[in-house]
Amino acid sequence: MATPDQGNPAQRREAIRRRLAAAAGGCADAGAVAAAASGVWRQVTECLAPMIGARGVDALLGRSLQLTAPAFPWLARVLDQEDGRELLANVQARLAARDPNAAAEASLALLVAFTELLATLIGASLTDRLLDPVWGGAGAPESKPEARP
Amino acid sequence: MSDQGKKIDILKLATGVPGLDSILGGGLPEFSFNLIVGPPGSGKTTLAHQLMFALASRERPALYFTVLGEPPLKMLRYQQQFTFFESARINDTVRFVSVAGDAAAGRYDRVLARIMKEVEGWSPGLVIIDSFRSLLNEAHPQANHLSPQAFLQQLGVQLSSWQATTFLVGEEPGERDLHPVFTVADGLLSLCQSVYRNSMVRKIQVLKLRGQATSPGIHTFRIGCSGLEIFPAAAIPGDTGAEQAARAAPPREQRLAMGVPGLDAMLGGGLPSGYSLLVAGPSGSGKTILATAFLAEGVRLGEPGVIVAFEQTPSQSRDRTIVELVQGGKIGLINTRLLDLSIDEIVQRLIDLIQGMQATRVVIDSLSGFELAVAPTFREDFRESLFRMVAVLSGLGVTVLMTSELEDRYTDLRFSSYGSAFLTDAIIVQRYIELDSRLKRAMAVVKVRGSAHSNELRQYEITGAGIVIGDPVAEYAGLLSGRPTRARGGPG
Repeated sequence: MATPDQGNPAQRREAIRRRLAAAAGGCADAGAVAAAASGVWRQVTECLAPMIGARGVDALLGRSLQLTAPAFPWLARVLDQEDGRELLANVQARLAARDPNAAAEASLALLVAFTELLATLIGASLTDRLLDPVWGGAGAPESKPEARP
Repeated sequence: MSDQGKKIDILKLATGVPGLDSILGGGLPEFSFNLIVGPPGSGKTTLAHQLMFALASRERPALYFTVLGEPPLKMLRYQQQFTFFESARINDTVRFVSVAGDAAAGRYDRVLARIMKEVEGWSPGLVIIDSFRSLLNEAHPQANHLSPQAFLQQLGVQLSSWQATTFLVGEEPGERDLHPVFTVADGLLSLCQSVYRNSMVRKIQVLKLRGQATSPGIHTFRIGCSGLEIFPAAAIPGDTGAEQAARAAPPREQRLAMGVPGLDAMLGGGLPSGYSLLVAGPSGSGKTILATAFLAEGVRLGEPGVIVAFEQTPSQSRDRTIVELVQGGKIGLINTRLLDLSIDEIVQRLIDLIQGMQATRVVIDSLSGFELAVAPTFREDFRESLFRMVAVLSGLGVTVLMTSELEDRYTDLRFSSYGSAFLTDAIIVQRYIELDSRLKRAMAVVKVRGSAHSNELRQYEITGAGIVIGDPVAEYAGLLSGRPTRARGGPG
């Protein structure tokens, strides 16, 4: 069986970047960037948890942190936390402790890793369909016709 | 029956799973509470998804709860490989909800509350709960909480009154009859896969369906890229319905030309329409050539035909005529080289092809190849299955010619290895005979039910133009014993 279509990662990345920027509202403060990222994560969780379960989301977040660890080792240190909520609170705290640019870059990388991971598992079209409400509006990746096996 | 005594019409939903409506007795009763049970890998989750995507609509949205089965991510990943899975419908007409967390913690009260909350909020017309295996088997429910058994029973009761057609998916517990959920359920579908020698066959059975005459027995199915395809056993089409009346068998007086000069006369004027004919003979005696002539003559007369061949290599010995007729779309061909078939699968494919081509002539070449192609687990029942197949084809009103390989024995006269001779309406036997130090072929019509026919043993030759029937072998006796003697004038 083929690996699900990856869709358009560049487009998805751009949609995430715009969503994070919009959430931060142009604040230059790392705390605001971290809070914005945390807000977007909550929305992602709200979209996915009913379907794949809170544990499913936590597992994906844990794997995403591990995938981004080479670039952002300071972010991955929160991995000992088991509960998703605590994990996210720790991610926010670590983001807030960096300079605003690093915080923005790391939160983007983490969300991108998460969505790409999800797309690898369940396909780009279903990923985009599920997370579309989070990215919202014109920034969302275009929905594509279903890829059939 | 008048409408006066009839109290309620239960809508039967078309499930969209090929063959399922037929074995359910016409479809799935709306608002029924059903169980799909079977061991891991038997196709339960695939069936549930296939049903959901077929039945869900704006008017009948579907809720799919994942409880303690495979992780939802994996389920979504693999189910997408089937053509029925439409991502675009998720969160529109189809919604997945995971309640695995509460279930894993043993909090079935919360699971029930969550399910009912989602059901009330979303108002689904279709609810699927996958799976409940561990719930049935859990021996020690947590104190002060709803037990798994009570949970299932309450779920059944609550969902039954919700006007939602419901499926509980799970592994079958050891003692099915004792579990209350089996009492609550309106329908029970059991799936399994049986491995026998080197073949695996999937089977489905409708063990219960309230208020409907289901098709009893075990039916086989396959899982392909479009999901399950069920091959109903002994599905003699429309044997009780209007379909049968509409498909009134043609009058038996009509005779079919065989396409072999002289053979029609031997049969008493051709093969009666709707009859089944067994052509039995040793290897090389010309059974396939006779079958080919039968089909070609049908095409010439505007009577389309279908041939079921069981050859291990395509066109191995298949006559060029057949190849041309198939390529020209004049006759249909089922040539299978699979070795794990169920007879019902072949019958289903045959019915589809007969109906698609409006065929009136059917050739099965040969029964020996057919037996080899059938999964070993079915070989013991081959004779019964053959009987069912002939009944099904007879119900369709088609005329059937089956060939059967015979060991050329001279000590006895047999027509088939399967006792299929009694199943057929007519028999032609072909033999090798030794005459004047030459190996010759001879054939005779052994029976044509309800009709006069020739009893002559006729020589024949196979030429480039086909079978050429010659004179009766009148001057010899004892040909079939292998020790012929001249009937008149000296020893042979």
